[in-house]
Amino acid sequence: MGKDLVLENLTKRFDKIVAVRNMNLEVKEGEFICFLGPSGCGKTTTLRMIAGFEIPTEGLIKYDGKVINDVIPQKRNFGIVFQSYALFPHMTVAENIGFGLKMRKIPKDKIEKRVDDLLDMVGLRDQKYKYPAELSGGQQQRVALVRSLATYPEILLLDEPLSALDAKIRVSLRAEIKRVQVELGITMVYVTHDQEEALSISDRVIVMNHGFIEQVDKPLVIYKNPKTKFVADFVGTSNFFDGDLDGNIVSGPWGKFILSKEAVSNLPFSKGAVSASIRPEKIHLYKNSSNIPADIEKTNLKKGKISVVTFLGVIVRSLIKVEGKNIIVDITETDFEKMMLRMNDEVTLYFPPEDFLAFQA
Amino acid sequence: MQMEKTEKLELKPVSTPIPDQTVAYIIIAFFGVFFLMLLLYPLFQILKTSFIAQGKFTLKNYIEYFGKSYIRKSLWHSLYVASVTTVVTTIAAFLVAYALTRTTIRLKRFYKAVSSLPLMAPSVVQALALISLFGRNGLFTNMFQAKWNIYGPTGIIISEIFYCFPYALIILITTLSAVDSRLNEAAESLGAGPLTVFWKITIPSARYGIFSAAALGFNLTITDFGNPIVIGGNYNVLATEIYTQVEGMQRFDLGATISVILLIPSVLAFVLNNYFTKRNYSLISGAAKPYIRPSSKSKRAIFSTISMLISVSIIAIFLTIFWTSIVDVWGGRAGQSKQILKWLTTFSTRHYDFAHRGRSISVVWTSFWISAVVAFFGAWLTLIAGYIVEKRKPKGHHLLYLVTVLPAAIPGLVLGLGYILAFIKVDWLYYKPSIIILNIIVANFTLGMLSTMTNMKNIDISIDEAATSLGADLPKTFFNVIFPLSSISFWNNVLFFFERSMVTISAVIFLVSPKVDLASITIIHLIDDGYFESACAMSTIVVAIVVAVHVIFSIVLKKLGKQVV
Repeated sequence: MGKDLVLENLTKRFDKIVAVRNMNLEVKEGEFICFLGPSGCGKTTTLRMIAGFEIPTEGLIKYDGKVINDVIPQKRNFGIVFQSYALFPHMTVAENIGFGLKMRKIPKDKIEKRVDDLLDMVGLRDQKYKYPAELSGGQQQRVALVRSLATYPEILLLDEPLSALDAKIRVSLRAEIKRVQVELGITMVYVTHDQEEALSISDRVIVMNHGFIEQVDKPLVIYKNPKTKFVADFVGTSNFFDGDLDGNIVSGPWGKFILSKEAVSNLPFSKGAVSASIRPEKIHLYKNSSNIPADIEKTNLKKGKISVVTFLGVIVRSLIKVEGKNIIVDITETDFEKMMLRMNDEVTLYFPPEDFLAFQA
Repeated sequence: MQMEKTEKLELKPVSTPIPDQTVAYIIIAFFGVFFLMLLLYPLFQILKTSFIAQGKFTLKNYIEYFGKSYIRKSLWHSLYVASVTTVVTTIAAFLVAYALTRTTIRLKRFYKAVSSLPLMAPSVVQALALISLFGRNGLFTNMFQAKWNIYGPTGIIISEIFYCFPYALIILITTLSAVDSRLNEAAESLGAGPLTVFWKITIPSARYGIFSAAALGFNLTITDFGNPIVIGGNYNVLATEIYTQVEGMQRFDLGATISVILLIPSVLAFVLNNYFTKRNYSLISGAAKPYIRPSSKSKRAIFSTISMLISVSIIAIFLTIFWTSIVDVWGGRAGQSKQILKWLTTFSTRHYDFAHRGRSISVVWTSFWISAVVAFFGAWLTLIAGYIVEKRKPKGHHLLYLVTVLPAAIPGLVLGLGYILAFIKVDWLYYKPSIIILNIIVANFTLGMLSTMTNMKNIDISIDEAATSLGADLPKTFFNVIFPLSSISFWNNVLFFFERSMVTISAVIFLVSPKVDLASITIIHLIDDGYFESACAMSTIVVAIVVAVHVIFSIVLKKLGKQVV
C-alpha cells in the first residue's frame, strides 16, 4: 500500500459559485496526474485545496489514509510550483532553494550541499549566486522546481508551470519535469489548460469542465475514446455531426453516415438526437475517384471542395466544404504534395464507420 | 561519491506553534480594539458630549450654537472660505499639472520639487508669510504705504490656496499623465482645433481627477486650523471656533457641538473625494505613454509663466519666513519703518532665543523624538495591517479596511478633542507623550495604509503562498519575504509619518501641555504671545528639520532602490 491521495466528494463553493462539485479521485503514490480543462473549470481550485490554501466546503481530502482537510499547508509538506515562478526576488538562487530547509532549521553546511545537488539535477550549478531577475524564464522555473523539491515533499503540485514560457522552452522543460518525476518517483499533480502538455506528460489525465470531472483515463484513452462530447472537443480536434440516430445510421442536413456497432453501443437508446464525431486524421481524402477502394461503405463517401489549406508542419489541415458544412481534414504533408491539391479542388472524403464516436446530444 | 550525493537529510516537521489563520485573526482583533479605543470611542465621546447633558438627550448645545449669531457665522465663514479656495486651487493646480504633463516647457523638475515644499511645513507658514509681506507691518504694506487688510477671509483664502495646492497638484498630475493623450491626437486628426480638444477631450477625460482634487481641497481647507487662527483676525471659522470654545471658554460641550457640525461637510467632502478617486482610477488606461509633441512657443510661454509665478510664490513664502526670523525687528524699530532696506538688513539671532519668550528650544527635541516614535510604529502598524488585509484576507478584513480609511475623513482638531474627552481619566495617556503619539498615528493611518496596500498589490500572491508551502508560518513569511520586498514602501511610510508628526497642528493642539509641548504648537503660542518673528524662527527650524530628513531619506532610498531588484 503506497501513500495515496484520495479526494472524496470534494466540493468547493465561493459564495454562490460552485468551483468544484462532488469530486472523487484516487491518486497512487508515484503517479503523475494532470488536471486538464478550460479556465474556470475548477482545476486550480482543486490543486489549491490539496495544497491547503483553500478549505473544502464539503468532502474529504485524505493522504496516506488520514483526513488532511484541517492540516495547515506548512505541515502537509507538499511542494508547489507556480505559474509565475514565485521566486523570492530579493534572494539568490541558492537562498531561494535553501529557504524551505532554513525554515526547518537545517545547519548551513547541509543546506549548501542539498542546494548544490538540486542545482546539479537541473544543470544550473553556475547560476547559484545570481538573483532571479538575472535568469531567463526557463531557468527561473527550473529553480522554482528544485526549490519545491528541496524539502523532500511527498507530493509535488504544479499549477500551470509552463504557461508563462515560450513554446520551445515549454517542450524542453516539460521533458525535464517528467525526467525528475521518474527519477525521484514522486507523486505529481499537474494543472494545465494545454491538452498537448497533459497528454504528453502524465500517467493519467483528469479532464474537468464546470467543476465536474468529465473523464479520468490514460492519455491515449482520453484521445481515442473520449467519453463525452466535451472531451472529444477539448482534447484534440473533432468534426461533429449533430443529427438523429436510427440504429447505427445518423442523418442530418449534411446527409447520412453509417457508424460502427461499437460506436453506438454506449448510447442509452437506439433512436434519438446524437452528435457523431470523427478526428480529422481519420478521414480519408481522394482526389481521383478511381483510387477509391471498391469494398468500402458507399454511404460514408461525400464529395466536397477544398476551401482553406493550412500548413502545420508534418501535417496539412484543410477545411473542406461538404453539403454546406466545413469539415476539418488532416493529411500528411507528403500525401498532400503527392496529390498536388489546390484550393477549390473537388475531392471525395471517406468517413470510416469504425472511426466514428457517438455522444448523446 | 554517488552515494554521498543521494544521502537524504533528516527533516523534522515544521514547527508552527499557531496556525496562520489564528495569527491573522489575532492581528485583526488587535487592530479592531486599537481603532475601537483610539478612533471610534473618542468620536462617540464627541457625539455624547454634544447631545447629552446631565444624563439626558438634549439639543440645547445646538440651539445655543445657532442662537448666537457670532458663533453661527463660523459655519458660513467656513463654507465660504473653503468654496472659494477649492475653486481657485483646483484651477491653478490643473493649469500647472497640464503644463507638467502635456506641454514641453522647461524646468519641470524644478516646478515639481518646489510644489512639494508646502507638504513639509506646518500649515501656518502661508499665513505667517502673508502677514510678513502684507500685514500691518508688512514689507509691501510699508513699501506702498498701503491700507489693505489682509486679516480675515482674504488672508485665509490666499493661505489655504497655497496650503492645498500641492495636494491637488499630485492628484491632477496622476490623472493627466494617466489619461490617454492619444485621444487628443485622434480628435485633432478628425479636425478638432486645440481649444475644442481641450474643452471636449482633455477636461472631460480628467473630470473625476478634477472633482477628486476639488473635494480634497475643500476637506483640507475646512478642517485646517493653523492658517485661520493666525490670519483670521475676528473672522472665525468652525475650526478656530472649536478652539476658542474649548481653550478660551472651557466649553467642551459647545466645542463638541461645533465639531459635529464641522464633521458633516468634511466627511461629505472626503466621501466624494473617495468616490471620484475610484471613478478616476477606472478611467485611467494602462496604455503606453505616447510622446508629447513639442508645444507651440506661445503655449510654452503661457504655461511657463503660470508655473513660474506659482513656484516663485511658494519659494517666497519660505524665504519670507526665514528672513523674518533673522532680522532684528520686522518692519523696523519705532520710526524706522520707512527705511525698508535698513531694517531688512539689520540681522539678529535673538528671535531664536526662545527661553526669553517664555518658551523652550526643548520642544524641538520633543517634536523630533515623538515624530521618530510615530514614524517607527506608524510604518510597522500600516505594513502589518496592509499585509493582512491585502494578502491574508481573514474574515473581517473588509471591516478593518473601512475603519482604517475613516481617520482621513475626521478633522484632526475633532479627533484631538475626542481624545481629551475620552481619556481625561486615563493617567498614562492624559497630557502624556503617549496620547500624542497614538493620536498622530491614528490620524494619519489612512494614507500610510493606502500606500502599503498599493505596494502589497505589486507583490504576487504566489510569492506569499510559495513561502507558506515551503514551511514558513505567517510571522516568518512576513519577516523573511514580505518585509524585504516592502522595504522601500516601508521607509517611505517612516518618512511620511515623521513629516506629518513634525508639522501637524490641529491634531495635537488639545493634547499638548506645558510639560509635553511640540514645536508646531509652539509656533501658535508664540504668535498668541506676540512674538511673531520667533514664530517664524520656530517654523524655520521645523521646516529645516523636515527638509533635511527628507533629503537624507531620498538619498538612502535611492541606494536601497538599486539593491532591491
